[in-house]
Amino acid sequence: MIETQWITPINTMMLASISILLYPLMADTLFKTSMKMQARTAVKYAFFSTLATLIMFINLGMEINTTHINLISSTNFNVGLSFKFDYFTLMFCPTALFVTWSIMDFAKWYMAHDQEVNKFFKYLLIFLLAMLTLVSSNNLFQLFIGWEGVGIMSFLLIGWWRTRGEANTASMQAIIYNRLGDIGFILTLAWTGTNVASWELDQLFMLKPFDTLPLLALVLAAAAKSAQFGMHPWLLGAMEGPTPVSALLHSSTMVVAGIFLLIRLHPMMEDNELTRTTCLLLGAISTFMTAMCALTQNDIKKIIALSTASQLGLMMTTIGLNQPNLAFLHMCLHAFFKSKLFICSGIISHNLSNEQDIRKMGGIHKTMPITSSCFTIGNLALAGIPFMTGFYSKDAIIETMNSSTLNLGALLLTMAATVMTAAYTTRLIFLVQTGPPRHYPMQKITEDKTLSNAILRLSLGSIAIGPISAMTLDQTQTLPTTVTTLIKLSALGATMMGIFVSLIFIHKNKQNRPQKNNLSTFSNMLTFYSSLTHRSPTTHLLKKAQKVSTTLNDATWYEYSVPKFFSKTQLKMSKALSFLAQGKVKTYLAVFTMSLMTLIILTT
Amino acid sequence: MLKIIIPTIFLLPVILLSNPKSTWMNFFINNLLISATSLTILKPQINTEWKFSSPYTGLDHISSPLLVLTTWLLPLMTLASQNSLKKEPYERKQLFLITLTLLQTFLLGAFCATDLALFYIMFEATLIPTLIIITRWGNQPERLNAGMYFLFYTLTASLPLLIALLTLYNLNNTLLITILHFLPQNTNPPSTSFFLWGACMMAFLVKMPLYGLHLWLPKAHVEAPIAGSMVLAAILLKLGGYGIIRTITMLTPMTKTMSIPFITLSLWGVVMTSLICLRQTDLKSLIAYSSVSHMGLVTAASLIHTEWSLTGAIILMVAHGLVSSALFCLSNFNYERINNRTLLLVRSMQLIMPLLSTWWLLFNLLNMALPPTINLMGELLIITAMFNWSPPTILITGAGVVLTACYSLHMFLTTQHSKFSNHLASMQMTNTREHLLMSLHMIPMVLLMFKPELVWSGTY
Repeated sequence: MIETQWITPINTMMLASISILLYPLMADTLFKTSMKMQARTAVKYAFFSTLATLIMFINLGMEINTTHINLISSTNFNVGLSFKFDYFTLMFCPTALFVTWSIMDFAKWYMAHDQEVNKFFKYLLIFLLAMLTLVSSNNLFQLFIGWEGVGIMSFLLIGWWRTRGEANTASMQAIIYNRLGDIGFILTLAWTGTNVASWELDQLFMLKPFDTLPLLALVLAAAAKSAQFGMHPWLLGAMEGPTPVSALLHSSTMVVAGIFLLIRLHPMMEDNELTRTTCLLLGAISTFMTAMCALTQNDIKKIIALSTASQLGLMMTTIGLNQPNLAFLHMCLHAFFKSKLFICSGIISHNLSNEQDIRKMGGIHKTMPITSSCFTIGNLALAGIPFMTGFYSKDAIIETMNSSTLNLGALLLTMAATVMTAAYTTRLIFLVQTGPPRHYPMQKITEDKTLSNAILRLSLGSIAIGPISAMTLDQTQTLPTTVTTLIKLSALGATMMGIFVSLIFIHKNKQNRPQKNNLSTFSNMLTFYSSLTHRSPTTHLLKKAQKVSTTLNDATWYEYSVPKFFSKTQLKMSKALSFLAQGKVKTYLAVFTMSLMTLIILTT
Repeated sequence: MLKIIIPTIFLLPVILLSNPKSTWMNFFINNLLISATSLTILKPQINTEWKFSSPYTGLDHISSPLLVLTTWLLPLMTLASQNSLKKEPYERKQLFLITLTLLQTFLLGAFCATDLALFYIMFEATLIPTLIIITRWGNQPERLNAGMYFLFYTLTASLPLLIALLTLYNLNNTLLITILHFLPQNTNPPSTSFFLWGACMMAFLVKMPLYGLHLWLPKAHVEAPIAGSMVLAAILLKLGGYGIIRTITMLTPMTKTMSIPFITLSLWGVVMTSLICLRQTDLKSLIAYSSVSHMGLVTAASLIHTEWSLTGAIILMVAHGLVSSALFCLSNFNYERINNRTLLLVRSMQLIMPLLSTWWLLFNLLNMALPPTINLMGELLIITAMFNWSPPTILITGAGVVLTACYSLHMFLTTQHSKFSNHLASMQMTNTREHLLMSLHMIPMVLLMFKPELVWSGTY
């Protein structure tokens, strides 16, 4: 079946396309100006070459593992640089590269006035490379390299405007949440290192059943990276970075890394009931909570960020359903429309003098026709309107869920989240694009040509990739063959309900004055999660750090119990003895002779 | 071995007889030659046989990475202290270099000694030049106090070691490291073994330093001149780890129970010192406490003494040696420019010195053990070994990992990012010497990243 002569081309082409991306990073220092290549050109070339590989893969359908360099070798433990080019890698790489290509076009326009725009592009490229390392690695150590790589690059990119305090705080927040997740990853590394004595994925998959501890640790790692409920605040903080960063971070790098980890390591956890239930419930809660928060937000970037968190929750639920292929499909399709939504929102707000409040927009469809139509397409795809890209994965997920016998609570939460997703996307479309313009009148609104091309490419992706992938790739997964009409229509019904409810509210709100409502404040303030968790534990910890470890222990106990104690007792002793040494020679001599005499008398 | 020690001793005539103008250059170049020669020691080998052995000296897979680290660091120390000594009279410069050379000789002696008695002598002898460096060339009056702490802490703890070594010699008629493994396990009464264990370990635990006995280290680091801080962080602390790894083999039956409180304490220290780092206002003190935190991991690893933990300990010692030394250099660059170590006064340096900011970023990332650096390899091996020893330790080591990232990046953000303050407007630019210094720290880290086997202690 497998034709061996095809192994080498796939392998070589994948590695070659990854090395194309390395070229712009090095060319600046190594070559003259004529030899330089722009980052976006490199990404474009890499996309086309990986696309060719993907086509080869679809045609032949085979996986390749290669080990190239042995990094650590010992008698019973080897860690090498090894790559895995299977369905996940070969599908994800072109997607990520395609999305990044458009994002870089956008970044060129968005960051045009930045002093260090070259550095910015290099950072984006390293970010992408770290993600590709993560995706293509065949052992846990190499995966960890990519994992930390995306973490640290997101730190640098979120804090890009470095003199702003908020940006620094947000970048720090992102790294702290990620590091909390890293504990989980390190635990898994330690566990597998001691119990399996290997970090190679294929060897790990052979061991069944797996212990629950490392698997739950993996879920922790994934939850931190993919901003599941409890670890989600950093994702909203990440909005402090430039919009291209948000677009890249939310679509094809960083946040999907956590989900990808679980997809990649799914063979380890498919038999473990507890882990799967954890994933299911965690995902359902995240998707519900974040969708609920998105309903009442007014910041355009924040709504889109929350929608990402909600979709990530959906992916997590799907993993809990034991359907990693579906989760992966949703992840890839999600990349197209999410990056597009971010780019569009960036274009809109940049054109309106960096206004991000959707209440101060409106009437955009007249002034920015291409952007607003792309924005609509992205929103519809996000809501899961039939025959848009989002539909193909979302519908399948909800259908699978409806026909499974798993947790009812998770099902209800996910359905509610679907309704709310439709509702807030409708709200976004209506408030931003229709009605009279509510922004300041004197705006210089332009639609750049390369920019329009970028979002049109992504729109094409948002419409066409769904059907194409449904036709070509879905044979690998097993879907339930028969479902009742009610279940089949439930996803669609939920979406429609969301849209209509939203329309009714928008219509009613035009006539009503804004009213104070506890529920809406609760949702608007993001369920008060960060206000509750960020203030008190950190203050507490830092207070403890100051009072207990610094002042009490180091400056007082350790200081006074050893050095100061000895010096004090020594001082006392020397003071006590010093009255004897006052230079009274006569007395000394008298004492000396007397004691000598006594001794002599006693001894004789 | 002699081809490294003798040229090091012959650095003394180089200092004394060189033309005043070219003393620094001659000294630096000779040093580099010595360290280049020593690099051959790292050649990986399959078995644990001793290399370059003579009746008194020899090297194996444990000592050779540390020895190469020592020879590598002396030229860097001279490079780093060039600017701060610029205004001193020539004789004092000579004196400084002589002290450094003597320290280097003793350190080399300590690492390549095969006899524990010789090791002890060298171990103690390093105190004198270090004390002179701290108290003579330190910047503030507090340096005298710091020197006192340094001397008394380490000396008090190491005198029992001498007695223990004499006792052991009495029992076994030998103190050769090479054959200590083969000696019969000691059959002393429990109380004797207890004191023997304590006496042997305490000297090294204070040197590491163990949390609770670490008070001398931040003081000494902060008050020492740059060369002193570098050698303290990079090598003198490692003498402790090296000593533990060497002597623990002959104390086998006791180690199992005796080491538990010390492992606990050192792991607890990892968290506590990291917390202290979060609240430090003094840049140098922050780096010093971060050393304590990293060395806590090394202490724990060398006390459990398994194959993985030993490998991890050596890797982390080498990695931490280079990184902490580089961080001290970086903080010294700031100190030389604004004469202040306070964290809040040096901000937004990326605007003024972008290239230096890149070094800050790189070394902070190394300090927080970003993969695939050897810092991570060391920490990961230690964490795995600890996890194997007792699974709940992952909570402490995990907290350590999070806090290390927090304070490393906090240090980076505060010094390099954030708002620009006007008092920094007129600042001397970075020069080639500084970048050379940083590159010489970075190059070995990068090379070791691609070939960790060089410090991977061949056998395992």
